[in-house]
Amino acid sequence: MAVASVGGLGSENLLREGGLALQWRIGFDKWIGRLLPLLYVVALLPIADMIYWIAVHALPTLTWATLTDTSVTNTHSLAVPIVGTFYIMVVATVVAVLLGLFGGIATAEFLPESVAGYARTAANLLAGTPSVVIGYFGYFAFVLYFGWGLNLIAGAVTLAFFMLPYLFRTVDLAYTSVPRAIREAAYGQGARPTQYLLRVATPIAFPQVLNGVFLAMAIGVGETAPLFLTLQQGILIPTGLFQPASFLTGQIWENYTQPQGSGGLALAFQAAFILLIVVLGLNLVVRLISGRFRKRLEGLFQ
Amino acid sequence: MGGPQGSGPTPGPPQPLPPSSPPRPPRWNASQWISLVPALVPAAVVAGVVASLLAASQFHNLGTSFWGSAWNQQTNTYGILIFVAGSFLTAVPALILSMVIGLGIAIASTTYLPARVSRLLDPFVDLLAGIPSIIYGIWAFALVAPIFGSTLAPWATMHLALIPGFKATATSPSANGYGLPISIFVLTLMSLPITTLLIRDALKAVPRDLWESGLALGATRWETVRRVSMHHGNRGLWSAAFLGFGRAFGETVAVAMVIGGATAYPANVYAQTYTMASFMFENLDGALSYPGMLQALAELALVLMAITLVVNLLGRRFVSALYTQEVAGL
Amino acid sequence: MNGAPVLSVKELTVRSKDRTLLDRISIDFDSASLTAVIGPSGCGKTTFVRALNRMSEITPGLRVGGRVEYLGQNIYDPKVDPVLVRRRIGMVFQRPTVFPLSVFENAAFGLRLVHASEEETDRAVTDALQRAGLWEEVKGDLDRSALSLSGGQQQRLCIARALAVQPKVLLLDEPCSALDPGATQRVETTIERLKKEIVLILVTHNVGQAARVSDRVAFLHSGRLIEVGTTADILERPREALTEQFITGRFG
Repeated sequence: MAVASVGGLGSENLLREGGLALQWRIGFDKWIGRLLPLLYVVALLPIADMIYWIAVHALPTLTWATLTDTSVTNTHSLAVPIVGTFYIMVVATVVAVLLGLFGGIATAEFLPESVAGYARTAANLLAGTPSVVIGYFGYFAFVLYFGWGLNLIAGAVTLAFFMLPYLFRTVDLAYTSVPRAIREAAYGQGARPTQYLLRVATPIAFPQVLNGVFLAMAIGVGETAPLFLTLQQGILIPTGLFQPASFLTGQIWENYTQPQGSGGLALAFQAAFILLIVVLGLNLVVRLISGRFRKRLEGLFQ
Repeated sequence: MGGPQGSGPTPGPPQPLPPSSPPRPPRWNASQWISLVPALVPAAVVAGVVASLLAASQFHNLGTSFWGSAWNQQTNTYGILIFVAGSFLTAVPALILSMVIGLGIAIASTTYLPARVSRLLDPFVDLLAGIPSIIYGIWAFALVAPIFGSTLAPWATMHLALIPGFKATATSPSANGYGLPISIFVLTLMSLPITTLLIRDALKAVPRDLWESGLALGATRWETVRRVSMHHGNRGLWSAAFLGFGRAFGETVAVAMVIGGATAYPANVYAQTYTMASFMFENLDGALSYPGMLQALAELALVLMAITLVVNLLGRRFVSALYTQEVAGL
Repeated sequence: MNGAPVLSVKELTVRSKDRTLLDRISIDFDSASLTAVIGPSGCGKTTFVRALNRMSEITPGLRVGGRVEYLGQNIYDPKVDPVLVRRRIGMVFQRPTVFPLSVFENAAFGLRLVHASEEETDRAVTDALQRAGLWEEVKGDLDRSALSLSGGQQQRLCIARALAVQPKVLLLDEPCSALDPGATQRVETTIERLKKEIVLILVTHNVGQAARVSDRVAFLHSGRLIEVGTTADILERPREALTEQFITGRFG
């Protein structure tokens, strides 16, 4: 059945192809293919610049004493905040892991699907909550209502709640990703849930869970608001849970408005530098684990 | 109902089987009841956040003045309008920029760059999400803002003065560069990894043979992306928008460091102002000295929380997977 | 049309990094006809048809040698952009690949690309849907989503979509493999009609299908064209031992 040719379709001669329109389409495609990748610069240049620039401002005056001197008279030492951050992270991670691990496993393995959906939505909502709101929650609930005051425990628990949803859903995903075939084989052999969990699922899910812990730590160590609003910074290393504690991000916040060239500003950069190293290091660890994990798991999936 | 099921024939590493749930008994048993406790902790926390804020606010100021634009703790007037405006004035432009740039990077990554190159570069874009917000803040504060204040802003006031909003006033732009533009810049960078990741995933999810069908009809790669991939990945695009917006809207510290802080309506585009989050962060400290301020702040927190919840709920509706990928910060 | 074959394949060779996927294949496609391409799995049938409209370029790492001449012009000429080739040599895939658009917009896709007028598009779409044997079933509601069609209807829509830009060659890569027997039959009816209008090249793993619809059969094995001839000749009186073994089901 013959049909009048559509003009825009051009002639049958491939080499003298008709139409500016077509050349334009092809040309546009070619050029946008060259221009779009340049947008990567918008994303990558800031990171590189951030790292470089902070290093440049931090390293010149960074001495070993800055990192280790805990004497009260030294105002240019980050030793106290470093230790403080460490203590806070330990407490926060422990709390977050306990809640997140059990919560994630419960959601992945035990809860009926209907409720599991709500649990997951709640975790997602919590993850999306602004850090300052979590800080306010910590302040009202722990500092005021529970009466803990502005100290290490209030800060760490508040931070734990901030880290929780990331752990929760990583654990949930890790256990849910155990291949169906393996799970059914285990239950088919008559395993009880605890046995299945301990001997089959956990070894498989472990790398992902470990990743989740490191990721949560990377997030937690860089947070300011949840701690700043619930915690009083001090000049001594905390000796108990109910004591003030300094932390790295707090140091940055306190010192970043100091005048140029002052020791205080340098301190802020140095704290930022250490923070960057910790965060990037944790991210690197996560990537390494993911890499080995993928190789290991390739054998399991088909 | 017919339709393409899953991906077409694709080479590459074996895909993991879809997540499955274990066999569950029809009625609840003891272990399921017990498991409710840890599983509902996040929900409890969310509820706890709302409850504690409600309690702290004591429903004190939920009157019309709350929505006004004057915030003055000395006279016990607590109007939050400026902060709400500030949050939107920073988050909306940031989202638009972040979506545009994210779209561009995602298209480049999936369509135009060889796989080896994308595989190398994409993780670094994702790394943006892992950088603490205070680091963004100090970098923007000490490096980018002064550059903006000394070069871009004067240029703009001179050459773009005819556009409404770009004319200089006595107070803005300030030479140090703080204010709305830098905040938008920072927020764009911070929401960029989310938008890029989600759009990238949406584009990657387009089945191979669907994509090839577009090309086989004589479409260029760009046309196929526009006319086929974007339609197919529609939901992913929406989820990128909502979640990216949520990120930008709730960002606290980085914004607090560069937005300047003035409780007056922005007079032009360079103005210094507050967002809800930045104001909340900076003012909790002194709140106890003024009657009613703590309650007002708690209510401000409630408003911020409410908006965030809505945005996140809408955003998650468009995500079909259990969770988005576990990229730091998502 | 001049006397040149519509499509002329000369010494077509396709190599990946470590293997030769197609080895010096030469075959001509003269005028409106249906050539079935058969052979065991992995013999290169799909690679072959994808090389005919330069779809092979989408897979990185493939190198193509030889010539493929469309109306006497080498489609692999560096001055020729693949976009030009692909509308004239259309392709239908194994699974129905309708776009998430309306039936009309699917069929009109190629026309929208060239910004054809509303009238031209309308006519072309109607014509294409009729040639694909789908018109009667969809004419009532062209705006409904293409995803609401059955599998067989979707595949015929894919055929219509390809036809709308008036190709002289249509490549079909196992188009019925995802369809049930009834839908398969309807697609076969359609391509039997089409083979009187344009050149059809049908890759199929189903020898029975080749017997039913094709004029010619080409047998591929390990990337080489073993034999090509009329359907009757190949299926009843194959000259090569390999061909005979395949047809009688010894392997494949």
